[in-house]
Amino acid sequence: MTEFNNRIAAQRDILFAVNGAGWEEELYGLSRGALDRWVQSNQLDRSSRLVSLLMEVAGKLFFLANKSQEQVTSEYRLLSSEVSVLTEEIRRELKQQA
Amino acid sequence: MSTHYYAFGSICRGEVDRSSDVDLLACITGPGPDLDSEKFSIYQHARLRDLWIEGNPFAWHLYLESKLLFSSDGVDFLGSLGAPGTYRSGIEDCNKFARLFAESAQQLTQTHVNATFNLSCMFLGVRNLATCYSLWRGSPVFSRRSPMLIDIPLGVEAGAFDVLTRARVLSTRGIGVALTREEVMLAIRAVTTVRAWMSQLLAEVHQ
Repeated sequence: MTEFNNRIAAQRDILFAVNGAGWEEELYGLSRGALDRWVQSNQLDRSSRLVSLLMEVAGKLFFLANKSQEQVTSEYRLLSSEVSVLTEEIRRELKQQA
Repeated sequence: MSTHYYAFGSICRGEVDRSSDVDLLACITGPGPDLDSEKFSIYQHARLRDLWIEGNPFAWHLYLESKLLFSSDGVDFLGSLGAPGTYRSGIEDCNKFARLFAESAQQLTQTHVNATFNLSCMFLGVRNLATCYSLWRGSPVFSRRSPMLIDIPLGVEAGAFDVLTRARVLSTRGIGVALTREEVMLAIRAVTTVRAWMSQLLAEVHQ
């Protein structure tokens, strides 16, 4: 599998964990716009740990989330270990909220 | 250090509607000005030169569909690079986007959790595969409707492709009306047709 596909898979895993928790409206992506919409639709506290973690991981996956035209440039730089750690933290946070 | 700003994409094709955003490119050297990376695609001049040399699809996109908005030194930087090199990664890119579509469709057919995100990825796979194929063919089409505009057009209901497009806008910009279950099902019914179309394109590039 290419690094590109791995990175999309990482994003899918995060969203699957979040959306599996059941919300008024799903989180559609890790773009700023999608996160803002999700926070608003579900009346979440923007300063909560879950939202902060998602914002952080979104920053690392920025190019994947936003730049349709540039998916072919390999410009997106990702520290995959950091994303893995954040994904686990998001899972833990969701479990605590359940 | 010089700075160059360009518009590119749909605004340069005149393909603008309510869901369109304006794609902006900033070419900088060194740290550059404090720009919002949500608004600008920010590239170092040296990186763009490399993309030009490798004949990257993004270089071709900029070469064919960008307009200079501002130049701090009076030079049209992208124009000065001339035509990008020959596109050589057609097979690799087409495989990558076919795989993206397949993995997203697989999760979507198993569960509706993540439906909008998966549909958004399916849009990306379909559109970028069509664009990379067209570039490999020598007749590049960068439109978001490229799957319908290439020499082997995708034959799905317009409604199904619209669902994918809306999912992409919801995922990248968080705007638009949420997809209904019926709309998700409409897109799922198109998966078999899309797979067959992708196989045709992949067979072409693998010949």
